[in-house]
Amino acid sequence: MADVNKTESMEQAAFTGVESVCDIGELMSAYLDGELRDGELEQVVAHLTDCLECIAEFHELKEARTAVRMLPMLQVPDRVMPAAHYGPELSAFLDGELTADEQVMIVAHLQTCTDCLLELQDLDAARTAVRSMPGVEPPIPLMPRIPVRSQRTSLKRLAIAAAGFIGAAAIAINMASSGPEATPVDLDEFADRHTVRVSVEDGLTGVPIFMHGSTP
Amino acid sequence: MAEDRVPTWEDVARRYGRKIYSFAYRLTGNPDDASDLVQEVLLRVRKGLANYTPGSFEGWLWRITRNAFLDDVRKKKRRPTTVLPDDDRAVVGASPSPDEVLASVRLSDDVQAALLKVPMEFRECVVLCDVVGLSYEEISNTIDAPVGTVRSRIHRGRKQLRGLLTWPM
Repeated sequence: MADVNKTESMEQAAFTGVESVCDIGELMSAYLDGELRDGELEQVVAHLTDCLECIAEFHELKEARTAVRMLPMLQVPDRVMPAAHYGPELSAFLDGELTADEQVMIVAHLQTCTDCLLELQDLDAARTAVRSMPGVEPPIPLMPRIPVRSQRTSLKRLAIAAAGFIGAAAIAINMASSGPEATPVDLDEFADRHTVRVSVEDGLTGVPIFMHGSTP
Repeated sequence: MAEDRVPTWEDVARRYGRKIYSFAYRLTGNPDDASDLVQEVLLRVRKGLANYTPGSFEGWLWRITRNAFLDDVRKKKRRPTTVLPDDDRAVVGASPSPDEVLASVRLSDDVQAALLKVPMEFRECVVLCDVVGLSYEEISNTIDAPVGTVRSRIHRGRKQLRGLLTWPM
Protein backbone atom coordinates (compact mmCIF):
# COMPACT_ATOMS: atom_id res chain seq x y z
CA MET A 1 0.00 0.00 0.00
CA ALA A 2 2.85 2.29 0.82
CA ASP A 3 4.37 1.55 -2.62
CA VAL A 4 1.09 2.43 -4.35
CA ASN A 5 0.97 5.75 -2.55
CA LYS A 6 4.57 6.40 -3.44
CA THR A 7 3.94 5.65 -7.11
CA GLU A 8 0.91 7.91 -7.17
CA SER A 9 2.81 10.73 -5.61
CA MET A 10 5.57 10.27 -8.16
CA GLU A 11 3.10 10.43 -11.04
CA GLN A 12 1.47 13.49 -9.57
CA ALA A 13 4.85 15.09 -9.15
CA ALA A 14 5.58 14.60 -12.84
CA PHE A 15 2.54 16.70 -13.77
CA THR A 16 2.51 19.28 -11.03
CA GLY A 17 6.12 19.87 -10.30
CA VAL A 18 5.77 18.65 -6.71
CA GLU A 19 8.97 17.10 -5.47
CA SER A 20 9.25 13.34 -5.48
CA VAL A 21 9.26 11.35 -2.27
CA CYS A 22 13.04 11.00 -2.42
CA ASP A 23 15.07 13.88 -1.17
CA ILE A 24 17.57 14.09 -4.01
CA GLY A 25 14.85 15.66 -6.24
CA GLU A 26 16.36 18.67 -7.97
CA LEU A 27 19.88 17.35 -7.58
CA MET A 28 19.18 15.08 -10.53
CA SER A 29 18.73 17.97 -12.96
CA ALA A 30 21.88 19.59 -11.62
CA TYR A 31 23.61 16.22 -12.06
CA LEU A 32 22.51 16.14 -15.70
CA ASP A 33 23.87 19.64 -16.21
CA GLY A 34 27.14 19.05 -14.38
CA GLU A 35 26.14 21.65 -11.81
CA LEU A 36 26.43 19.68 -8.57
CA ARG A 37 28.39 21.11 -5.69
CA ASP A 38 31.02 19.38 -3.59
CA GLY A 39 29.78 16.19 -1.98
CA GLU A 40 26.50 16.12 -3.88
CA LEU A 41 27.80 13.93 -6.67
CA GLU A 42 28.47 11.01 -4.33
CA GLN A 43 25.04 11.46 -2.79
CA VAL A 44 23.27 11.34 -6.14
CA VAL A 45 25.28 8.47 -7.54
CA ALA A 46 24.78 6.42 -4.37
CA HIS A 47 21.05 7.08 -4.42
CA LEU A 48 20.62 6.29 -8.11
CA THR A 49 22.32 2.96 -7.57
CA ASP A 50 19.47 1.74 -5.39
CA CYS A 51 16.32 3.74 -6.12
CA LEU A 52 14.46 2.47 -9.18
CA GLU A 53 11.92 5.30 -9.02
CA CYS A 54 14.62 7.92 -9.14
CA ILE A 55 16.40 6.12 -11.95
CA ALA A 56 13.16 6.28 -13.95
CA GLU A 57 12.73 9.94 -13.06
CA PHE A 58 16.30 10.64 -14.03
CA HIS A 59 15.66 9.22 -17.50
CA GLU A 60 12.52 11.29 -17.86
CA LEU A 61 14.36 14.45 -16.91
CA LYS A 62 17.01 13.60 -19.44
CA GLU A 63 14.37 13.15 -22.13
CA ALA A 64 12.78 16.50 -21.33
CA ARG A 65 16.16 18.18 -21.42
CA THR A 66 16.99 16.55 -24.75
CA ALA A 67 13.62 17.60 -26.22
CA VAL A 68 14.29 21.27 -25.47
CA ARG A 69 17.89 21.12 -26.58
CA MET A 70 16.86 19.59 -29.89
CA LEU A 71 14.67 22.57 -30.70
CA PRO A 72 16.19 24.31 -33.70
CA MET A 73 17.80 27.71 -33.42
CA LEU A 74 15.49 30.08 -35.27
CA GLN A 75 16.31 32.51 -38.02
CA VAL A 76 15.61 36.15 -37.23
CA PRO A 77 13.26 37.77 -39.77
CA ASP A 78 15.10 40.14 -42.11
CA ARG A 79 13.02 43.14 -41.14
CA VAL A 80 14.24 42.86 -37.57
CA MET A 81 17.91 43.34 -38.31
CA PRO A 82 18.20 45.12 -41.65
CA ALA A 83 21.55 46.67 -40.76
CA ALA A 84 23.26 43.54 -39.58
CA HIS A 85 25.52 42.44 -42.41
CA TYR A 86 28.65 40.37 -42.45
CA GLY A 87 31.85 42.09 -43.44
CA PRO A 88 35.23 40.63 -42.55
CA GLU A 89 33.63 37.26 -41.89
CA LEU A 90 32.83 36.80 -45.56
CA SER A 91 36.49 36.54 -46.58
CA ALA A 92 37.16 34.16 -43.71
CA PHE A 93 34.11 32.20 -44.84
CA LEU A 94 35.54 31.90 -48.35
CA ASP A 95 38.83 30.67 -46.96
CA GLY A 96 37.21 28.13 -44.64
CA GLU A 97 38.59 29.89 -41.58
CA LEU A 98 35.38 30.17 -39.55
CA THR A 99 34.06 27.93 -36.81
CA ALA A 100 31.21 25.56 -37.59
CA ASP A 101 28.73 27.80 -35.75
CA GLU A 102 29.85 30.90 -37.63
CA GLN A 103 29.57 29.06 -40.94
CA VAL A 104 26.00 28.02 -40.16
CA MET A 105 25.10 31.61 -39.29
CA ILE A 106 26.57 32.96 -42.51
CA VAL A 107 24.98 30.29 -44.70
CA ALA A 108 21.61 31.10 -43.16
CA HIS A 109 22.17 34.83 -43.57
CA LEU A 110 23.21 34.49 -47.21
CA GLN A 111 19.96 32.77 -48.04
CA THR A 112 18.07 35.96 -47.36
CA CYS A 113 20.54 38.85 -47.64
CA THR A 114 21.21 39.96 -51.21
CA ASP A 115 23.73 42.59 -50.12
CA CYS A 116 25.98 40.08 -48.39
CA LEU A 117 25.58 37.60 -51.23
CA LEU A 118 26.74 40.19 -53.78
CA GLU A 119 29.65 41.15 -51.54
CA LEU A 120 30.59 37.51 -51.22
CA GLN A 121 30.57 37.17 -55.01
CA ASP A 122 32.80 40.24 -55.35
CA LEU A 123 35.21 38.90 -52.77
CA ASP A 124 35.27 35.53 -54.47
CA ALA A 125 36.01 37.15 -57.84
CA ALA A 126 38.86 39.19 -56.31
CA ARG A 127 40.23 36.14 -54.56
CA THR A 128 40.09 34.08 -57.75
CA ALA A 129 41.76 36.87 -59.75
CA VAL A 130 44.66 37.05 -57.32
CA ARG A 131 45.04 33.32 -57.13
CA SER A 132 45.05 32.93 -60.92
CA MET A 133 47.95 35.36 -61.43
CA PRO A 134 51.04 33.66 -62.87
CA GLY A 135 54.03 33.11 -60.67
CA VAL A 136 56.93 35.58 -61.14
CA GLU A 137 60.57 34.47 -61.11
CA PRO A 138 62.70 36.60 -58.80
CA PRO A 139 65.73 38.42 -60.32
CA ILE A 140 68.80 36.18 -60.37
CA PRO A 141 70.98 38.40 -58.11
CA LEU A 142 68.34 37.98 -55.41
CA MET A 143 68.56 34.22 -55.54
CA PRO A 144 70.58 32.83 -52.66
CA ARG A 145 73.69 30.91 -53.62
CA ILE A 146 73.03 27.37 -52.72
CA PRO A 147 76.20 25.23 -52.70
CA VAL A 148 75.92 22.03 -54.69
CA ARG A 149 77.59 19.29 -52.75
CA SER A 150 77.96 16.26 -54.91
CA GLN A 151 80.22 13.36 -54.05
CA ARG A 152 82.38 14.14 -57.06
CA THR A 153 82.87 17.73 -55.93
CA SER A 154 83.75 16.64 -52.44
CA LEU A 155 86.37 14.19 -53.69
CA LYS A 156 87.83 16.85 -55.93
CA ARG A 157 88.11 19.26 -53.02
CA LEU A 158 89.69 16.56 -50.90
CA ALA A 159 92.26 15.86 -53.62
CA ILE A 160 93.10 19.57 -53.92
CA ALA A 161 93.44 19.89 -50.16
CA ALA A 162 95.65 16.79 -49.99
CA ALA A 163 97.85 18.08 -52.82
CA GLY A 164 98.17 21.39 -51.07
CA PHE A 165 99.10 19.69 -47.84
CA ILE A 166 101.71 17.49 -49.55
CA GLY A 167 103.19 20.47 -51.35
CA ALA A 168 103.39 22.49 -48.16
CA ALA A 169 104.98 19.56 -46.36
CA ALA A 170 107.56 19.13 -49.11
CA ILE A 171 108.52 22.79 -48.97
CA ALA A 172 108.75 22.67 -45.19
CA ILE A 173 111.00 19.59 -45.30
CA ASN A 174 113.16 21.21 -47.92
CA MET A 175 113.54 24.37 -45.86
CA ALA A 176 114.35 22.40 -42.75
CA SER A 177 117.00 20.37 -44.46
CA SER A 178 118.59 23.35 -46.10
CA GLY A 179 118.96 25.36 -42.95
CA PRO A 180 118.62 29.07 -42.54
CA GLU A 181 120.55 29.81 -45.74
CA ALA A 182 118.54 27.87 -48.28
CA THR A 183 120.02 27.15 -51.64
CA PRO A 184 118.00 27.67 -54.83
CA VAL A 185 116.13 24.61 -56.00
CA ASP A 186 116.83 23.20 -59.44
CA LEU A 187 113.29 22.35 -60.56
CA ASP A 188 114.37 19.89 -63.28
CA GLU A 189 116.54 17.99 -60.87
CA PHE A 190 113.79 18.13 -58.23
CA ALA A 191 111.36 16.65 -60.71
CA ASP A 192 113.76 13.88 -61.70
CA ARG A 193 114.14 12.88 -58.10
CA HIS A 194 110.55 13.06 -56.97
CA THR A 195 108.41 12.12 -59.92
CA VAL A 196 108.00 8.41 -59.90
CA ARG A 197 105.54 5.84 -61.16
CA VAL A 198 104.34 3.45 -58.57
CA SER A 199 104.10 -0.21 -59.47
CA VAL A 200 102.63 -2.81 -57.18
CA GLU A 201 103.11 -5.83 -59.41
CA ASP A 202 106.39 -6.96 -57.88
CA GLY A 203 106.36 -5.14 -54.66
CA LEU A 204 106.61 -1.42 -54.21
CA THR A 205 109.19 -0.12 -56.63
CA GLY A 206 110.02 3.32 -57.71
CA VAL A 207 110.55 3.73 -61.49
CA PRO A 208 111.90 7.01 -62.65
CA ILE A 209 109.82 8.70 -65.31
CA PHE A 210 110.96 11.44 -67.47
CA MET A 211 109.71 14.93 -67.60
CA HIS A 212 108.90 16.67 -70.83
CA GLY A 213 112.14 17.79 -72.43
CA SER A 214 114.43 15.64 -70.32
CA THR A 215 116.55 12.78 -71.63
CA PRO A 216 116.29 9.17 -70.48
CA MET B 1 33.35 37.01 -27.60
CA ALA B 2 36.44 38.18 -25.79
CA GLU B 3 35.68 39.47 -22.29
CA ASP B 4 38.07 42.41 -22.56
CA ARG B 5 36.71 43.87 -25.76
CA VAL B 6 33.64 46.00 -26.15
CA PRO B 7 31.73 44.59 -29.11
CA THR B 8 30.13 46.83 -31.65
CA TRP B 9 26.40 46.93 -32.04
CA GLU B 10 26.75 45.06 -35.33
CA ASP B 11 28.72 42.33 -33.53
CA VAL B 12 25.88 41.89 -31.07
CA ALA B 13 23.25 41.81 -33.80
CA ARG B 14 25.14 39.23 -35.81
CA ARG B 15 26.33 37.00 -33.02
CA TYR B 16 23.37 37.06 -30.69
CA GLY B 17 20.40 38.01 -32.85
CA ARG B 18 19.32 34.43 -33.45
CA LYS B 19 19.78 33.44 -29.83
CA ILE B 20 17.78 36.38 -28.58
CA TYR B 21 15.06 35.65 -31.10
CA SER B 22 15.00 31.95 -30.20
CA PHE B 23 14.91 32.81 -26.49
CA ALA B 24 11.91 35.09 -26.98
CA TYR B 25 10.15 32.74 -29.33
CA ARG B 26 10.52 29.74 -27.04
CA LEU B 27 9.15 31.78 -24.17
CA THR B 28 6.22 33.33 -26.02
CA GLY B 29 5.52 31.06 -28.98
CA ASN B 30 4.81 34.21 -30.93
CA PRO B 31 7.03 35.30 -33.84
CA ASP B 32 5.89 38.92 -33.69
CA ASP B 33 6.65 39.19 -29.98
CA ALA B 34 10.01 37.58 -30.59
CA SER B 35 10.83 40.06 -33.37
CA ASP B 36 9.76 42.98 -31.19
CA LEU B 37 11.99 41.73 -28.42
CA VAL B 38 15.03 41.44 -30.68
CA GLN B 39 14.57 45.00 -31.86
CA GLU B 40 14.05 46.28 -28.34
CA VAL B 41 17.11 44.45 -27.04
CA LEU B 42 19.28 45.75 -29.87
CA LEU B 43 18.10 49.28 -29.18
CA ARG B 44 18.95 48.94 -25.50
CA VAL B 45 22.31 47.41 -26.35
CA ARG B 46 23.08 50.29 -28.69
CA LYS B 47 22.34 52.81 -25.96
CA GLY B 48 24.07 50.78 -23.28
CA LEU B 49 27.30 50.09 -25.17
CA ALA B 50 28.42 53.68 -24.67
CA ASN B 51 28.62 53.09 -20.93
CA TYR B 52 29.43 49.41 -20.98
CA THR B 53 32.49 48.40 -19.00
CA PRO B 54 34.25 45.35 -20.40
CA GLY B 55 33.41 42.35 -18.27
CA SER B 56 30.93 39.55 -18.58
CA PHE B 57 29.32 40.68 -21.79
CA GLU B 58 26.91 37.77 -22.06
CA GLY B 59 25.69 38.30 -18.51
CA TRP B 60 25.03 41.94 -19.34
CA LEU B 61 23.31 41.07 -22.60
CA TRP B 62 21.00 38.46 -21.10
CA ARG B 63 20.01 40.72 -18.25
CA ILE B 64 18.99 43.32 -20.84
CA THR B 65 17.15 40.67 -22.81
CA ARG B 66 15.27 39.36 -19.84
CA ASN B 67 14.34 42.83 -18.61
CA ALA B 68 13.15 43.80 -22.07
CA PHE B 69 11.07 40.65 -22.20
CA LEU B 70 9.45 41.29 -18.83
CA ASP B 71 8.79 44.92 -19.73
CA ASP B 72 7.14 43.82 -22.94
CA VAL B 73 4.94 41.34 -21.13
CA ARG B 74 3.91 43.97 -18.60
CA LYS B 75 3.31 46.60 -21.27
CA LYS B 76 1.06 44.38 -23.31
CA LYS B 77 -0.61 43.17 -20.15
CA ARG B 78 -1.21 39.81 -21.53
CA ARG B 79 0.13 36.43 -20.88
CA PRO B 80 2.35 34.93 -23.52
CA THR B 81 0.24 33.59 -26.33
CA THR B 82 0.05 29.96 -27.30
CA VAL B 83 0.35 30.47 -31.04
CA LEU B 84 1.98 27.43 -32.48
CA PRO B 85 5.05 28.04 -34.54
CA ASP B 86 4.63 28.61 -38.22
CA ASP B 87 8.17 29.58 -38.99
CA ASP B 88 9.78 26.87 -36.97
CA ARG B 89 10.87 25.32 -40.24
CA ALA B 90 13.91 27.52 -40.43
CA VAL B 91 16.16 24.68 -39.45
CA VAL B 92 19.69 25.38 -40.51
CA GLY B 93 22.16 22.61 -41.01
CA ALA B 94 22.64 19.50 -43.12
CA SER B 95 19.99 18.62 -45.67
CA PRO B 96 17.64 16.09 -44.05
CA SER B 97 15.11 14.00 -45.95
CA PRO B 98 11.47 15.21 -46.24
CA ASP B 99 10.38 12.63 -43.67
CA GLU B 100 13.03 13.82 -41.25
CA VAL B 101 11.98 17.42 -41.78
CA LEU B 102 8.33 16.63 -41.09
CA ALA B 103 9.18 14.57 -38.04
CA SER B 104 11.45 17.31 -36.76
CA VAL B 105 8.75 19.95 -37.25
CA ARG B 106 6.12 17.86 -35.45
CA LEU B 107 8.60 17.23 -32.66
CA SER B 108 9.42 20.92 -32.38
CA ASP B 109 5.75 21.88 -32.39
CA ASP B 110 4.97 19.41 -29.63
CA VAL B 111 7.84 20.55 -27.47
CA GLN B 112 7.05 24.22 -28.07
CA ALA B 113 3.40 23.68 -27.17
CA ALA B 114 4.41 21.81 -24.02
CA LEU B 115 6.90 24.53 -23.06
CA LEU B 116 4.19 27.15 -23.21
CA LYS B 117 2.19 25.24 -20.63
CA VAL B 118 5.02 25.28 -18.12
CA PRO B 119 4.78 28.24 -15.70
CA MET B 120 6.81 31.19 -16.91
CA GLU B 121 9.28 31.27 -14.03
CA PHE B 122 10.24 27.62 -14.68
CA ARG B 123 10.09 27.98 -18.47
CA GLU B 124 12.41 30.94 -18.36
CA CYS B 125 15.10 29.00 -16.53
CA VAL B 126 14.72 25.94 -18.77
CA VAL B 127 15.03 28.07 -21.90
CA LEU B 128 18.03 29.99 -20.59
CA CYS B 129 19.69 26.68 -19.73
CA ASP B 130 18.78 24.47 -22.69
CA VAL B 131 18.15 26.91 -25.53
CA VAL B 132 20.54 29.75 -24.72
CA GLY B 133 23.10 27.51 -23.04
CA LEU B 134 23.83 29.50 -19.87
CA SER B 135 25.26 27.93 -16.72
CA TYR B 136 23.30 27.99 -13.47
CA GLU B 137 25.53 30.78 -12.24
CA GLU B 138 24.90 32.85 -15.36
CA ILE B 139 21.16 32.24 -15.11
CA SER B 140 21.34 33.26 -11.47
CA ASN B 141 22.92 36.57 -12.46
CA THR B 142 20.49 37.06 -15.31
CA ILE B 143 17.30 36.59 -13.33
CA ASP B 144 18.77 37.97 -10.11
CA ALA B 145 17.94 34.91 -8.01
CA PRO B 146 20.10 32.49 -6.00
CA VAL B 147 21.65 29.52 -7.77
CA GLY B 148 19.57 27.21 -5.59
CA THR B 149 16.41 28.81 -6.95
CA VAL B 150 17.67 28.38 -10.49
CA ARG B 151 18.41 24.73 -9.85
CA SER B 152 14.98 24.14 -8.40
CA ARG B 153 13.18 25.92 -11.24
CA ILE B 154 15.03 24.04 -13.94
CA HIS B 155 14.27 20.76 -12.28
CA ARG B 156 10.59 21.51 -11.81
CA GLY B 157 10.29 22.89 -15.31
CA ARG B 158 11.76 19.75 -16.83
CA LYS B 159 9.57 17.49 -14.75
CA GLN B 160 6.46 19.28 -15.84
CA LEU B 161 7.59 19.35 -19.42
CA ARG B 162 8.21 15.63 -19.50
CA GLY B 163 4.77 15.03 -18.07
CA LEU B 164 3.27 17.12 -20.85
CA LEU B 165 5.10 15.38 -23.67
CA THR B 166 2.91 12.46 -24.57
CA TRP B 167 4.84 10.93 -27.45
CA PRO B 168 7.38 8.21 -26.79
CA MET B 169 10.96 9.42 -26.67
